[in-house]
Amino acid sequence: MSSVAELKVEKKEKKVMNFKSCFNVIGPVMIGPSSSHTAGAIEIGKLANKLFQGKPTHALVKYYESFAETHKGHGTDFAIASGILGFETDDARVPAALDIAKEENIDIQFVEMSGDSPVHHANTACITLSNDEREIHVTGISVGGGTIEVKYIEIEGFVLEPQGTLPVLLVITKNEILKKQIETLLGDNGIKINQMTEYQNGETFLYQFDLDSPPSDKIKDDIYHVKKDSKIILL
Amino acid sequence: MYSSIAEFIKEANETGKSLSDLMIEQEMDHSKRSYEDIWKQMERNLDTMQAAVERSVMGDGVMSSTGLTGGDAVKIKKYREKGNTLSGDRIMHGVQDALGTNEVNAAMGVICATPTAGASGTLPGVLFPIAEQLKLSREQMVRFLFTSSLFGMVVANNAMIAGAMGGCQAEVGSASAMAAAAAVEAAGGTPDQSEIAFGIAMGNLLGLVCDPVAGLVEIPCVKRNAIGAGNALIAADMALAGIENKIPADEVVEAMRKVGRSMPRELRETGLGGLAGTPTGENIKMKIFGQSL
Repeated sequence: MSSVAELKVEKKEKKVMNFKSCFNVIGPVMIGPSSSHTAGAIEIGKLANKLFQGKPTHALVKYYESFAETHKGHGTDFAIASGILGFETDDARVPAALDIAKEENIDIQFVEMSGDSPVHHANTACITLSNDEREIHVTGISVGGGTIEVKYIEIEGFVLEPQGTLPVLLVITKNEILKKQIETLLGDNGIKINQMTEYQNGETFLYQFDLDSPPSDKIKDDIYHVKKDSKIILL
Repeated sequence: MYSSIAEFIKEANETGKSLSDLMIEQEMDHSKRSYEDIWKQMERNLDTMQAAVERSVMGDGVMSSTGLTGGDAVKIKKYREKGNTLSGDRIMHGVQDALGTNEVNAAMGVICATPTAGASGTLPGVLFPIAEQLKLSREQMVRFLFTSSLFGMVVANNAMIAGAMGGCQAEVGSASAMAAAAAVEAAGGTPDQSEIAFGIAMGNLLGLVCDPVAGLVEIPCVKRNAIGAGNALIAADMALAGIENKIPADEVVEAMRKVGRSMPRELRETGLGGLAGTPTGENIKMKIFGQSL
């Protein structure tokens, strides 16, 4: 009996709180027409941009369900391209992003997938970015009002399935000491770590910190400063 | 973080704090940002909303690239000037601002999502007419947005605000309920009356399908925001008149979630069912996108 009760309590506590700020609900200031399909798509594109760190030559974007059915009308294509280029949601260049990507020699291909979303969500986009040197994969879902979740990442031989909610801090390093350093830095600044997941691939470690709230610009600077030949990515 | 409407209404009643103050406090606590910083960002949202409304009635108004929507806010403006509207000038002012904002949105102009872009006209369609009538200060207008977001966050976390997840009841329905609650506070009503207005407004839009013609945020989205604004003003007035809503607001949100979950996919922003699935809706889709869709 008690284990069932405990399970229930645990389930209740784990309720997803995606919308943590009033600005998730009033905002973003954005280029229309759809917060899920335009602003959210920009954010998914930005995930890919942050993970890739640099300019790709190729982008493959797979759409599922509502994204597959309605991306043309919603401007989802130029929104994803905007994110890949690193534009913000209210950037005036957003509607011209496909042309800008072409000028920058980024070849973007959009594919409408007919089946169900691999992560079971109506607004799903899977993005692959590549150039001669490297390739990343990311799957994001757009949950409304420009808010997104990250469900799947492939980077430098690591495969991650984060809890979904952002922010997520990734530290890819050969220097194990960084884990403790980042933990301390976050703790000292009152940033709660919801979950820490550790991966190892040969001599390289990947530490995935699922954070409760976004670090301020000052703390972000401090985090990036810890580098020591490592890759630090805040999604 | 407040996980239910009942929780923050209780807090407001016990502490005597306004709902907008509770939202600002929660935001400061969570984001570790300063009061000033948070206030400024919300002011920028207000400025964006105001700019969109103004842009919508300049000249002949704005047109979307498809030509399906645009220019209607201007028509309402001219119609109001004749001074003989059936539903009264306040409501028609709201209709004008709601249509106008969504016309700017459909034309890929800059708007503030409240809570979504497709529902971005509903809040301005309530805020600007009551600001004129109640002579709200800029501070009170910013507070209107904080109060709206306090309710909206609970909806977003406990149910949904995306049409693709729960139909238009999750978008215009949520926006209408958020605006009704904030309108009550702006008019000097109690937190309990805000909750009642919220419950009435959302309850009245339960089951609203999301059926954009050709998958575009144009038909019926633009006009539906006008209805959302009108519904909010009426719900706020009912609450201020002392009418009760028998179903608590949190239960209305839960009902909205369940209705949304049980809606067929054709009615959740796929552009397949509802008005999108009518012969004319299909024709429009064919004209815009050709055979490929």
